[in-house]
Amino acid sequence: MRPENYEARKHPPSNEFELNFGPNHPGIEGNYAFKVKLNGDEVLEAKADAGYLHRGFEKLMEGRLWIQNIALVPRICVPDPVPMEVCYSLAIEEIAGLEVPERAQWIRVMQLEMSRLAAHLFAFGGHAATCGMYTTMFWGVADRDLILDRFEELTGGRVYSIYNIPGGVRRDVPTGFLERLGSLLDYLESRLPDYDNLFFTNQIFIRRARDVGVMSQEQALKWGVTGPNLRATGLAFDVRRDDPYLVYDQIDFDIPTEPGGDCLSRNLVRRSELLQSIRILRQVIERLPSIKGPIRCPIPNPLAWNVPVGESYPRVESSKGELAYYVVSNGGDKPYRVHVRGPSSMHAVQVLEKLAVGSRLEDIAQIMFSLDACPPEVDR
Amino acid sequence: MSKNKTLTKKDQMQQDKAQDGQQMLVDFTRPRTNPMANVFDGLVRFCQSRSMFMLHYCTGCGAIELPPAMTSRFDMERLGIQPMVTPRQADILLITGYVSVKTLKRIILTYEQMAAPKYVIGICSCTVNGGMYWQSYATAKVLREYLPVDIYIAGCMPRPEAIIEGLQVLMDDIKTGRAENWKRYFQNYDYYLGNQQKLFGDHWQTPTDIISEARHYDLITENTLGKHTALLEKHQAPLQALEMTLQQNRERV
Amino acid sequence: MTQELNVWLDKILGDIENVKIERKRSNRLRVDVDARALPAVLELLQGRASYVHLSAISCVDRIDDDEFELVYHVWSYEARSLVSAHTRIPRDPGVYLSIYDLYVPAAFFERDIHEMFGVYFEGSPDMGKFILTEWDGPPPMRKDFDSEKFVNETFNREQYHPQWLKDLEKEGGGITTPAEDARK
Repeated sequence: MRPENYEARKHPPSNEFELNFGPNHPGIEGNYAFKVKLNGDEVLEAKADAGYLHRGFEKLMEGRLWIQNIALVPRICVPDPVPMEVCYSLAIEEIAGLEVPERAQWIRVMQLEMSRLAAHLFAFGGHAATCGMYTTMFWGVADRDLILDRFEELTGGRVYSIYNIPGGVRRDVPTGFLERLGSLLDYLESRLPDYDNLFFTNQIFIRRARDVGVMSQEQALKWGVTGPNLRATGLAFDVRRDDPYLVYDQIDFDIPTEPGGDCLSRNLVRRSELLQSIRILRQVIERLPSIKGPIRCPIPNPLAWNVPVGESYPRVESSKGELAYYVVSNGGDKPYRVHVRGPSSMHAVQVLEKLAVGSRLEDIAQIMFSLDACPPEVDR
Repeated sequence: MSKNKTLTKKDQMQQDKAQDGQQMLVDFTRPRTNPMANVFDGLVRFCQSRSMFMLHYCTGCGAIELPPAMTSRFDMERLGIQPMVTPRQADILLITGYVSVKTLKRIILTYEQMAAPKYVIGICSCTVNGGMYWQSYATAKVLREYLPVDIYIAGCMPRPEAIIEGLQVLMDDIKTGRAENWKRYFQNYDYYLGNQQKLFGDHWQTPTDIISEARHYDLITENTLGKHTALLEKHQAPLQALEMTLQQNRERV
Repeated sequence: MTQELNVWLDKILGDIENVKIERKRSNRLRVDVDARALPAVLELLQGRASYVHLSAISCVDRIDDDEFELVYHVWSYEARSLVSAHTRIPRDPGVYLSIYDLYVPAAFFERDIHEMFGVYFEGSPDMGKFILTEWDGPPPMRKDFDSEKFVNETFNREQYHPQWLKDLEKEGGGITTPAEDARK
């Protein structure tokens, strides 16, 4: 039994051969596959094969209440679930005309940045594993776990928090949480030199990652690349600054860029973004106690909530790039249509197919992890 | 087909007797008459339980809790459990969450490639009953119908502690000889194949010859062969070797 | 700068017939275009007004009007604004022009819409199956496809109704009324 989309070539014209790469392969992030055409170990052509994680989210959401979908959306991107909730909530708030209290907005920013820290630690940890440097992965995952502990304290859930609801957040910040978060940030910052020594300035990594999977800024813009991958080509674009949502316009942060556009640059951008996220979180810790007020605005009974007719397209900067939801309401208690624009739907398919050409077989995993491609966002 | 010839008359009779059974998950253990064999089996089982390789295959979202369970914080390796990249050398197949139909095909291919004894663990609620994707057209709902599951670990998603505890239960089961579910796949192949055919269509076949393997392990029961395996025989296209011709002296472009 | 560009944008779009412009926020613009004029509008937006980033193409099944609504979200890095161009095409035969020659990311979205809604895009590089390779039913995102009915017909469910739950129900506890009924 071969996969149904497999077409055996009876007589290849040369010493080219085809290889099914994934889904059951440790070099693939998640459950995803490639069909690659090789000459030796040089990749001549790569074709993505998605759908292993397809659950039909957009169909499921049409059959559930507005509030029920909050539990559904974080499953779309497992390593970085919070932006999904926030973006979906923003969409409903825009349609229904809800005013989110300022305190809730700051708590959302705090969560988003915690999630970004966790996702970036996971991303470069995974990349290190593809270069055979497992220590970085072990450390990165263990440090990410400390952030998950804080999530658990704040929301009750380690991975899926289901904490943001239309109109605000579910609960207020527990007593002493901000101090514990502050000491966690100090710890993470003190770990960065260790990561530098182990990974970012490690010659093994630099030699493997430099000039691999290179794209120019022009190509990146043409291919629809967003997020850290776009910033690694030298363009300082960030949805948080250029299309501000929540209270990001009141927060002071830089947008790190790198000129190279290769795997190394993409990882260095993520490393710099760790520092920026820590900086944003410190500002949140400083400002949040002085912002009093409710944590959510009153909403109608969510079990019988007919959101008025309308549509919205909010965009959020997730750790992988530009995330957007197109939500249409026809005045019913369920969404009429929800379209999820995951950043990886570009990165994992078209961009990866193009970057893989000309590289070597063992670099495909590295390119995939450096793009931080998240297959469930493609499949939905 | 060579397999048609090897189908003995006795097998045919069994095939006729076998029903389209739902209720025939019988446990079949061979009696051991030699007491020394029991001692030796116990030792083997102890060794098996202390070195388990689990297949590195992230089938769903529950896989996100495996890296924490494997790495420095929870450190599964102190129990002797390690990820393994190839199904041939793996003992445990972790089904981490919902299985879309497309993934389920790959899971079955992978499972059949694994060498016995092999164990299946269903992690997350979705493997039990579809979980929160109960109305999704793309996911299979009850994993138990397609593969013999040894242990379910409930939760959406279960914490690393829960995963480790589940694996410890499996270790105990292996030690005491209770984890024998892999035999059921051979003993009741007709039932599992029937469910697979219902979902994937009548032309479903895998490269692994389960019936010959069952004969090899001496695990053929009256439920191994039935009308679904007969359908498989009817539709089965002979397996072909992949053709790959390499021309050595071709100029590179 | 943003203001200037918006004026410029209005001027460009004003040249095309049957365009309805609605400014939703300072940097969100909704444009309703006739299906025949949409590629020209996008070409103008990209070529003259720097809307180089195609954020997404969304498809909405307006089954009551027997139409598909296609929404093209384009973003300008310079003007920092997003234009959503809406257009409607008849549900039958559901054929439209690809904009792959303008925006490369369109290939992914068009293939996705083709799979999920059955809209064919002429000129798109690949209209083959991608996500739903195992699926041979109707395009699942169409409103006339009932996912729940399909599931009930195709899959079994684990029957779990143990004695303790029955006892609980006898005492009036447990989930005795389905959620749909409870809501009424």
